[in-house]
Amino acid sequence: MNYAEKTDVVIVGSGAAGSLMAAKLAESGKKVIILEAGPERTLKDLTSSQIHARRLKWSGDLVMENGAQPIGNGFNSGYGTGGAALHHYAVWPRLHAEDFKIRSLHGRHLDWPISYDDLRPYYDRIQQEVGISGDSQAEVWRPDGADYPLPPVPAFQQSEIIAEGFKKLGKSLSPLPLALNSREYMDRPGCLWDGWCDAGCPTKALANPLAVYLPKAKKHDCQIIHDATVTRVLTEQNGKKTIGVTYRIKDGIEITLMAKMVILAAFAIQTPRLLLASAEGGLANRSGLLGSYIMSHAAALVYGLFEEETEPYMGPTGGQMLNQDSYDHKDKRPQGFGSYQWMIAQAVKPNDLLGFGGSNPGIFGAKLTEFMQRAAQHFGGMTACVEDLPQRENRVSLSSEKDKFGLPLASVTHTSHKDSLALWQGAKQEGMEIFKAAKAEQVWTGPLGPMHLMGGTIMGQDAETSVTNSYGQCHDIDNLFIAGPGLFPTSGGVNPTFTVHALTLRSSEYILKNWSSLT
Amino acid sequence: MKINRRNFTLTGGALTLGFLLGDGVISLTPAEAKAQNLPFHRLTKNQASLIDILGDAIVPGAKAAGLSHYIDHQLSVRHQDNLLILRYLRVNPPFDGFYSASLQAFEEAIQQRYHKEPSDLTEVEISDFITIMMQKNPEFWSLPGHEAPPAPFFYFVLRSDAIDVTYSTMEAFDSLDIPYMAHLEPAHTWEVSPK
Ligand SMILES: Cc1cc2nc3c(=O)[nH]c(=O)nc-3n(C[C@H](O)[C@H](O)[C@H](O)COP(=O)(O)OP(=O)(O)OC[C@H]3O[C@@H](n4cnc5c(N)ncnc54)[C@H](O)[C@@H]3O)c2cc1C
Ligand code: SF4
Repeated sequence: MNYAEKTDVVIVGSGAAGSLMAAKLAESGKKVIILEAGPERTLKDLTSSQIHARRLKWSGDLVMENGAQPIGNGFNSGYGTGGAALHHYAVWPRLHAEDFKIRSLHGRHLDWPISYDDLRPYYDRIQQEVGISGDSQAEVWRPDGADYPLPPVPAFQQSEIIAEGFKKLGKSLSPLPLALNSREYMDRPGCLWDGWCDAGCPTKALANPLAVYLPKAKKHDCQIIHDATVTRVLTEQNGKKTIGVTYRIKDGIEITLMAKMVILAAFAIQTPRLLLASAEGGLANRSGLLGSYIMSHAAALVYGLFEEETEPYMGPTGGQMLNQDSYDHKDKRPQGFGSYQWMIAQAVKPNDLLGFGGSNPGIFGAKLTEFMQRAAQHFGGMTACVEDLPQRENRVSLSSEKDKFGLPLASVTHTSHKDSLALWQGAKQEGMEIFKAAKAEQVWTGPLGPMHLMGGTIMGQDAETSVTNSYGQCHDIDNLFIAGPGLFPTSGGVNPTFTVHALTLRSSEYILKNWSSLT
Repeated sequence: MKINRRNFTLTGGALTLGFLLGDGVISLTPAEAKAQNLPFHRLTKNQASLIDILGDAIVPGAKAAGLSHYIDHQLSVRHQDNLLILRYLRVNPPFDGFYSASLQAFEEAIQQRYHKEPSDLTEVEISDFITIMMQKNPEFWSLPGHEAPPAPFFYFVLRSDAIDVTYSTMEAFDSLDIPYMAHLEPAHTWEVSPK
């Protein structure tokens, strides 16, 4: 076994949560080492190509997927500097107050151990620090919060045409809140509206970890070690305190890194895998819930062809407009239970899963050639982000299969709750009506797509019903923290990464305030 | 906001791959590799020809765009450099078996159904066959001992590969009258050294 020098903090994973945590702790004088399983990536690697974008995806150990609606790890997980956040689409709405209290309000599923009001100041501070473009007044559904620091994204033809359908049916619309610059902000340039966000934005207009928090962390005592897969969290013999981690570099050599504090930010599948593999029965698993409540939003994809030219290639990949009419009062949907939002008018390319060529797989041959020509100028699309209700049996467990060094692989089972499926069906139906009202010549929908991974290491009030407290601190081990969407006890119907940032900022301040008692 | 598509200059960049030739690696687009009839490394000649026949019938232009060379190249790189759409679709690497089993099923199902080779099918015959395969396994698709992935799934994957290779290049964008607007052009960083 090789030993590395001791550090204050080791962070596992360099994505959204890991990079923010590293910046805050390093800025406050802590010596931080980030261990990242994937390769080093720089902004220069973010080639504008939907095919190249696939290189940013998970290519670590296999993940076995089961259940009726598998979670789509290959699409949803990232690998290398910045993790999945390096090429995320920057749609950053807030959770609503009701999302935190489903059990108290509706007598079902789970509550968060904090309320929206607890998180609100952190949302406000993050949006100022990172830069979000939007129009808070137009977001009539938005919970209380400071106005966005940047004006909203412009509306291109596609969103203006689809907006007609919303208006005709009496529905509300606002610009989509996006963590990208509608104009220069904090020394980062404005967006060029070219729709290459999925390939990763190399200009820093979009707030990915390479643009915002990793450079901040590196200005201080923070080092990232790449191609370093953490295989075990180490504890003192009584199991009450972590003392560091073991990681594997290329060729399987294992190194032990001693640290005063360990923070796991390896996303919703690998963090529970690591804890399950670190001790008999799992580390920090008094509740028996380690790995449970894995969630993935169901994407309801609605597509159409319009008579007018839509310029579908213009704008950010995440979309241009938002509708959250079906968000609050989760029990008042015509069918199902929960919340969803529409992200309207995503910029699209011809190829890839989300490209217009892939939207209508029933077309082939000469008809496909015709379709591609027409869709290039007349295509429109929107996506509903549909809440996935948490269920204990949806979980990450250890597979009987092992990687080549003997570490058990992650096995993930996910079957959507029947009320989530009904909600998804209802959203698709509504989407088709909206497109017809917008005078689409043809309307069609896509299959259920899993989008965003959450849960697996949920936070809660106590050690019997959750893995961590509201700061991501493991109930059983004071100096072991978890950061990322794995902490969410419920998914809401909004994209998770703004909330990940708000939670991580809150945790970092708790850690710094209590450093001496924690370590 | 309306933009003038011609505001954007299209450069001639293309999808180039590093192809192994003798001892060296050369950079070519899949279409150039096809035109130069470069040898395959993972696919047999027959498999490559089946890919081209079916791929081109699904996405016209895929054969000339170099579909079989593209797939062959991607099968020969490390998983983390692999760019095939299969990465997204819960198929575990290596992907060679997925293509070989599906292509064998395709060939056998055609032989049994039409009593001829896939290369001899008429346009109507292959189109009828595709219409069936996108919905269910055609008769004789997955014979005992020759189990294959479901035909609709293979159809979806090959269609996606064919769209990738045919419609992702700057020239293809231009032919669709779409501005490419690259931040970083793919030609410069596409190369992957085959191992
Ligand atoms: C295509 C796409 C678009 C998205 N768009 C949006 C959006 O518009 N809005 C939004 O809110 N969210 C979006 N998301 C989701 C968003 O990317 C995630 O919510 C976010 O990245 C989660 O942050 P994280 O830090 O937990 O994980 P990540 O950012 O994925 O980082 C985790 C890191 O941990 C590393 N790691 C894993 N295991 C180990 C180990 N054992 N040892 C060392 N390192 C390890 C991984 O390699 C990875 O780099 C999108 C995701 C994808 C894939
Ligand atoms: S559309 Fe804007 S945010 Fe997206 S890649 Fe281009 S410049 Fe970056």
